[in-house]
Amino acid sequence: MSTAVLAVEGLTVYRDTYATVQDVSFALEAGTDTAIVGPNGAGKSTLIQAILGILPRRSGDVFWLGHPLSRRGVLSPKVRQQIAYLPQNFLFDRRIPITVNELVALGWDDLGLKLPWANQKQRRLAVRRALERVDALHLGSQPISRLSGGETKRALLAYCLVRPRRLLILDEASAGLDVRSESDFYQLLYQLKQEQGWAILQISHDLDMVRKHCDRVLCLNRFLRCQGTPDYALAPDNLVAVYGSEFVRYRHHH
Amino acid sequence: MHGARPEPQTASPRKPQTAFPRKPQTANRSPMSDLTRVIELFQLPFMQRALLGGVLTGLMGGLMGSFTILRQLSFFSDALGHSALLGISLGLLLGLSPSSVLLPFAVLFALGVTYLLERTRLWTDALLNIVYSSSLAIGVILLTFVGQYKGGINNILFGDILAVRQGDLVVSTVLLVVCVVFVGLTLRSQILLTLHEPLAIASGIAASAHRTVFIMLLALVVGASIKAIGVLLISAFVVIPACAARMLSRTFAGYVMLSAVLGAMGAVLGMVLSALLNLPSGPAIVTMQLAIFLVAIVLPRAKLSTV
Repeated sequence: MSTAVLAVEGLTVYRDTYATVQDVSFALEAGTDTAIVGPNGAGKSTLIQAILGILPRRSGDVFWLGHPLSRRGVLSPKVRQQIAYLPQNFLFDRRIPITVNELVALGWDDLGLKLPWANQKQRRLAVRRALERVDALHLGSQPISRLSGGETKRALLAYCLVRPRRLLILDEASAGLDVRSESDFYQLLYQLKQEQGWAILQISHDLDMVRKHCDRVLCLNRFLRCQGTPDYALAPDNLVAVYGSEFVRYRHHH
Repeated sequence: MHGARPEPQTASPRKPQTAFPRKPQTANRSPMSDLTRVIELFQLPFMQRALLGGVLTGLMGGLMGSFTILRQLSFFSDALGHSALLGISLGLLLGLSPSSVLLPFAVLFALGVTYLLERTRLWTDALLNIVYSSSLAIGVILLTFVGQYKGGINNILFGDILAVRQGDLVVSTVLLVVCVVFVGLTLRSQILLTLHEPLAIASGIAASAHRTVFIMLLALVVGASIKAIGVLLISAFVVIPACAARMLSRTFAGYVMLSAVLGAMGAVLGMVLSALLNLPSGPAIVTMQLAIFLVAIVLPRAKLSTV
């Protein structure tokens, strides 16, 4: 178990009186790319939020790099820093005055009590390197309100990249991008994954992308219906179990 | 039931108290003599205390307001301001001075509202509306039992910055230092919490504790400022400088500092305007804050967007 970046055992999460995620167990190995697929309301975001400690869990255990996540969602800061999480609607309020440099720097900071100007030099250098790597150095002083969808995603990748990580968690990372920008985003993401040795856990609705890039697939519809390689997990029988037969007929005809 | 109970004298509508006893008007008043009069006025100890009180309130309101508006808590300061009337009435009923009641009341109000929000999960503005209108109603009812309040309802509604005492300044200074230290040491966490709370939690920030501390500090700032500004106008100190700063800022850190500076600037300009035209000081300050906001909207953004 100590080799797993993330281990989830018998996780059950309730929203009010309804179990949105029930008895889910899986493990993520270092450097692998795992997709969570399932219809809307299947509990994908709930699962991710529970394993990060954002939502409380009813039962089950979560281990990050061998460290347990407490019932109250507390995890050692050293472990937290090795995980980057990009929520689906991150930066939805573009009226907040913040530049790309400041946003990326937030990914670098330890978030304890610190003077605002502490480690300014190292922070600036790390931000510069991260932006350079995603070809967005010119965007550094731009407010986020002026970025296009594609530029925003690059800034967010710089936010993940600004300090060494073991695992990226993406909740529909490509949402809101057109086909071209989406393709650019995934190209850059997988280049960085290779370089950095990231493991990725991502929620995706794009089954073709999942088939192309991911090593493993978790099919979720409240329960974990199946897990395995894309060829196995996305086989028609399994898709029927997760999405229902209508969806599979639709995909077959298109 | 109209007229069942006579209106208390304290609640009778009166013109807000003017800042200074009006000097006899002279036929040959010139701008220079006005300026001299203002300079003379600001040499008086009570005016200096008022100015300092205004600056401290402006700095605190601007600093805390910068986060307040982004977190869509603007209405909280307004609701607390209105609800403070209940605290003041309770204090008067118990024979305590408004100053000694306001701070504990503000803290209790903040904790109560936070509890209700988490418990009911209702919309913030709807819940705050229930809290403030009902506490205002109860406050007014309690006032009818108090009899004549020598401070007058106008002082509660519009404040009296000229009545600021040494002790009030000490409280404001300590509170400002606490706010600066808190915001300074947790700035990164505050920014992340403002941007996206779930992400902040995922990064290991104790969001609930931060939220409670922030809302208590905001409540204390509002509570400490009510005596000078009044329950009706206090939210302007939290909201207007921050909105003006937002119009002029590009970076988050610059925005927070500019908001505090504009808060203080509004207070100074408002006090001068008040002395110059013999206007009530609280409304004069808010008018100057509005003027700053309007200038911020009109100013070409490109020139100022380096902040």
